[in-house]
Amino acid sequence: MSSTEPTSAPNRSLPDRLRSRFEGPNTIGDSRGFWVGFVVAVAALAVYPVFGDGSQLSLFMVLALLGLSLSVVWGYSGVLSFGQVVFFGIGAYTFGVVSINFATPGGITAAVVAGIVGGGLSAAILGYFMFYGGVRDVYVTIITLVSTIVMHTFMAQTAGSEWAIGEAALGGFNGMPDIPVLTLGVEGASYQFMYNPFPMRVIGIGSFELSPFYYLVLVLLVGTYLGLRVLVNSDYGRVMVAVREDEDRTEMFGYNVTRIKFVVFTLGGALAGLSGVLYAARNVYIDPTVFSLLFATLPVIWVSIGGRKSLLGAVVATLAIEYLRISMAGELALVLLGTLLLVTILVLPGGFVPWVHRQIVDARLGPGEAGGPDAPDASSEVSD
Amino acid sequence: MVNGINLALQFLDSFAFIVLAAAGLAIIFGIMGVINLAHGEFILIGAYTSTLSVTHLGIPLAVAIPIGGVVTALFGILTERVIISGAVPNYVSQRTLDRDIIEPLYDRLADSMVATFGLSLILTQGTRIAFGNSIDGLSTPFGPIEYGAFSYSTYRIVLAAVSIGLLVATYYLFTRTEFGMRARATIQDKETARAMGVDTERMYMLTFGIGSGLAGLTGALFAPVITMRPTLGDQFLVESFVAVVVGGPSVVLGTALSGGVLGAILAVFSNLYGTFIGRIALLVAALIALRFLPDGITGFIEQLRKRRQESE
Amino acid sequence: MLELDDVSAAYDTTPILRDVDLSVEEGEIVGVMGKNGVGKTTLLKTVMGLLEPSEGTISYDGTDVTTTSADERARAGIGYIPQGRDVFPKLTVEQNIKMGETIRSDSDETLYDQIYDYFPVLEERASQEAGTLSGGQQQMLAIGRALVSNPDLLLLDEPSEGVQPSIVDQISQDMQTINEDLGTTILFVEQNLGVIREMADRCYAMERGTVVDELGPSTIADEDAIAEYLAV
Repeated sequence: MSSTEPTSAPNRSLPDRLRSRFEGPNTIGDSRGFWVGFVVAVAALAVYPVFGDGSQLSLFMVLALLGLSLSVVWGYSGVLSFGQVVFFGIGAYTFGVVSINFATPGGITAAVVAGIVGGGLSAAILGYFMFYGGVRDVYVTIITLVSTIVMHTFMAQTAGSEWAIGEAALGGFNGMPDIPVLTLGVEGASYQFMYNPFPMRVIGIGSFELSPFYYLVLVLLVGTYLGLRVLVNSDYGRVMVAVREDEDRTEMFGYNVTRIKFVVFTLGGALAGLSGVLYAARNVYIDPTVFSLLFATLPVIWVSIGGRKSLLGAVVATLAIEYLRISMAGELALVLLGTLLLVTILVLPGGFVPWVHRQIVDARLGPGEAGGPDAPDASSEVSD
Repeated sequence: MVNGINLALQFLDSFAFIVLAAAGLAIIFGIMGVINLAHGEFILIGAYTSTLSVTHLGIPLAVAIPIGGVVTALFGILTERVIISGAVPNYVSQRTLDRDIIEPLYDRLADSMVATFGLSLILTQGTRIAFGNSIDGLSTPFGPIEYGAFSYSTYRIVLAAVSIGLLVATYYLFTRTEFGMRARATIQDKETARAMGVDTERMYMLTFGIGSGLAGLTGALFAPVITMRPTLGDQFLVESFVAVVVGGPSVVLGTALSGGVLGAILAVFSNLYGTFIGRIALLVAALIALRFLPDGITGFIEQLRKRRQESE
Repeated sequence: MLELDDVSAAYDTTPILRDVDLSVEEGEIVGVMGKNGVGKTTLLKTVMGLLEPSEGTISYDGTDVTTTSADERARAGIGYIPQGRDVFPKLTVEQNIKMGETIRSDSDETLYDQIYDYFPVLEERASQEAGTLSGGQQQMLAIGRALVSNPDLLLLDEPSEGVQPSIVDQISQDMQTINEDLGTTILFVEQNLGVIREMADRCYAMERGTVVDELGPSTIADEDAIAEYLAV
């Protein structure tokens, strides 16, 4: 065990007690060193727009939320879903439709909520259909993949003008343009996040114009990550992992496995829906490519390579892989991605981030010591 | 009356499409428990090989088609040895690191989906890099059959005939040959088959080769009627593995029934509402089938049979 | 003919066999007895090559076979009759037996005549689907299938499990006949007292994954001595 881990002595300080809710065997990092590094990383992200392309990074951070949604569902409950993009897309389109029809600050705020609800609700419907229908294992995966293709095919043929909800035309392959800029609040007390840079002056360095949208996404990403850390390290999180490891056995212990999968799947859908809302808000546009086979598999790629049982892995991998993908020439990037995915599944099925973490921990403990109980994919965690 | 013929021909078309697309995948899934998401790219290899053989090497189509199948089969064997079983990398790692570095993908359904998707990315984009965004296609041989005011492509009827012939040939392979018997024994009880001297490693290699070869053959057969571009596998992929899963454990009967049922749905809805709706209808039907018949159509039939036997 | 030296084996990460030592001479019928869960089936699977030992060596006919695959060992002359028979349910009786014709690397002979002699019912029902046979008939089929290529060593996993007592008697007699007629060496595992006493020349006792004792013919004849190892 790490020497800087908070003890369970009764007189622990408040910070230590708080910290222990974020730590546990299901996530990476429980040392002071980790949290220091975490704060540094967030600070770096906060100042990044000064030096680099904040608008590009904001896209990656939005997608990281999508990656987290799959990590929760797959890495922590064992449901491999190719369908996160369905809820992502529904969230995005819902946001688009509602905000186009009610282009006031209050309406747009409601649209954000509607998008998240849309994502969660569609996940609940599909989840109900599958889990309460007794569908298991790979057949769940296949159903999610088929659902994505259905959405893709369906949305692609909505080009005609009859395919409009109120003022919002779905637009088929052309997509839905002119989505109102993201504004939260109500008439008279609202704040616009897109195309509304706020100026900042730092003495000695200069003045900059910073995008509020970037910081909104950053706050949401960090908040979601921390929130999920608390969840998966809680009692409910331990049950989720138990479901991932052995459904039948968990059922025998008296847990309603079907309901757990359903709840987690719905949560994943809502999270994906949030990501979709932000995606549509950022691009002020949405089209059916979000339902394409390639886009559907991107979350699987990120999470597989990053480490499916690791929240941190999902975030890091999404940021890194999307950066690579954008910066390399199209075809070569995908060849590299395919190779990386292939090699990861075959050689390092646990993913990179857990592997790196284990190297760090092993180096810290020195030779002759075991990997320690904070290795996140130790399958002995919740079974006896 | 004429619309009836139209519909019948469309059904034959859909049936042929599904059966030819699914056959190779069904064999691999049934015997090895692997879902090959690069199946569409194996179809691509067959299509490109035969097309390029005709356009660049001047080989007649009738010869180019089997060549497409064979080249893809060889590529399939390579894939099996390197990726699916990991035999080649493990051979190297045994001698350098003294351990296996790859665990075979057999019966690891979810992992095989993800790993083979990686392969499919490599193949699609690799094709794009090597050959560009499209290559010249072939013209459809044979020309049309006329009936009344309508005409239909003779070649597509040939495809339908080939698909039926393929089912018959696969049935023959499985029930009348020794390889087929050993394959069925392996499907029914892999461990006992090994104890009976079946070299399951070799069988898997051959199986993947045959399955890939069939995929390549499908690509070569459809090449004259589709656009030659690196993503051509996409139109086959989802339909084929949906058909395999809905078909169930029996390879030949499952594929045939899937082809029939899903093909009928595809044909009827396409006829009435257009190809997009037709495709959606097929996929939705598959979703419903997967939900209510978890072991596929032939799995369900098998359960009925067992129940009837027990009550006798 | 068969020797296990310090063999340990595990399923995934659960260890089942620990430091097993045993040997079988040519022509013997050797039993391994023990309660449920003691590792009897795992032992046979390891000998057959369906499971690779984590430690130790297995030698057959003088050669180290520890890392050879099951199908190679089958071709070298080891026959296997699994617990629960494990006939191929959708193949016919005839096809099941044909599966046993493992194409031994050193011999072409097949013993169809002998098999149909011992078990005439197999010839009668040659084209019947194996899954539809009764338990006892499936047992006979499993034996015939294992026997058809005249294996030198026969591995038999709990021949009495799930089979009615009259057939059990028949089977142990058949085994002894096979051993006498064909000279087949037999290694079997059992928890049924009677079968051990009838069939075995010599037997080992297993407890919690390891061999704890070896019993000679006279001890086997002593009912009390044996009962001690099978006490619940």
